[in-house]
Amino acid sequence: MREKLIRCPICEAVNIDKGGEIYCRRCHEKIYNYKRVSLNRTIAFLITAIILYIPANAYPILITRKFGIIHENTILGGVMHLWETGSYPIAIIILLASVFVPILKFIFIIYLLIATKYSVKSSMIDKHKLFYITEVIGSWSMIDVFVVAILSVLIHFSAVEIIPGEGATAFALMVFFTMLSALSFDTRLIKK
Amino acid sequence: MNKNELDKFIICKKCHTLHRKIKLHKGTKALCQQCNSLLYRDHQNLIENSLALSWVTLIALIIGFSFSIINININGIYQELDLPSLIMVIFDNEYYIVGVMLSFLIFIFPLVIIISMILLLSLMKFKKSGYLVRRLMILIAKILPWSMIDIFFISLLVAMVKLFAYAQLELDTAFWSLIIVILLDIFIFKQISFSDLWDEYRKIYEV
Repeated sequence: MREKLIRCPICEAVNIDKGGEIYCRRCHEKIYNYKRVSLNRTIAFLITAIILYIPANAYPILITRKFGIIHENTILGGVMHLWETGSYPIAIIILLASVFVPILKFIFIIYLLIATKYSVKSSMIDKHKLFYITEVIGSWSMIDVFVVAILSVLIHFSAVEIIPGEGATAFALMVFFTMLSALSFDTRLIKK
Repeated sequence: MNKNELDKFIICKKCHTLHRKIKLHKGTKALCQQCNSLLYRDHQNLIENSLALSWVTLIALIIGFSFSIINININGIYQELDLPSLIMVIFDNEYYIVGVMLSFLIFIFPLVIIISMILLLSLMKFKKSGYLVRRLMILIAKILPWSMIDIFFISLLVAMVKLFAYAQLELDTAFWSLIIVILLDIFIFKQISFSDLWDEYRKIYEV
């Protein structure tokens, strides 16, 4: 009986798992798709996000124009610059939020996807917790994009100017697709 | 199994452990057996309290959106930052995708969430229009993960530390009201769980 009860992600009501599509008994919303549909959706969004991660890191996210000289910064370049100038806490925050969090999310989702097919040695509770962490840390990666936007408003003088680079678009889209990938994951697939 | 029988259970949002609900004493809360996260609480005046806090949040949010957040002073040249200009600059630089995303994540979604919160709580208070209340609760649950005003605030702090060495920074009106928004947001959406609101909805509309 324990396995058959599932939680509605919208209204948190307890529902009986009949397999296939499920409409919540309390909020009447479609809360689960067919398992195959949501699995394919998760994989598709994840692949899109991983592809976008490459231009997000390869292209500059921040362009500084100082007295006509253009200096381009990628995410890692920016972190390195911060580290060299001695802003260690900020360098660590940016490194965690924009480099490690996306990679961790990819690894977590891939791990959960593998665990649905093959038996992996970890308890169901741990996997549910892992999924919860994946959902919560998702939005934190947006810090870098927001910082670039804020800096480009504040540093907007004739001599010095900061403008966002192409990497920012790729990065923002990458975060968007990883979040979609996590949201479309069917927690019913998590089993022992 | 009977439908009402299912209402006696609750599943933890973190570790998905099944619990049987018990009646709580006044002002206490129930925690998950496995991971200690909050399951549900006994609320004294759930609707009234949340409604009051939501109004404060809305006012603070409007102030936060309309005044300048920080002023920067580099050798006598001033520049100020407010949210509309932030989004405008992104569009001016022709980053349309980022611009649309930013306007939704830090402008439209937080506003929609708090306005629907006020609307649904007022409707619940006067016990009117159950259908609209249900739709609004579903809407909030769906866009809540996409509201990033808190992340924006952290980015603001990061940007300030970055600029600290080069320029004089002045915190302005909107900065303080954004702090109020963040604190109340945490209070409303992390303390009051949605299952409590849905239980209340059941009590009001489905008797």
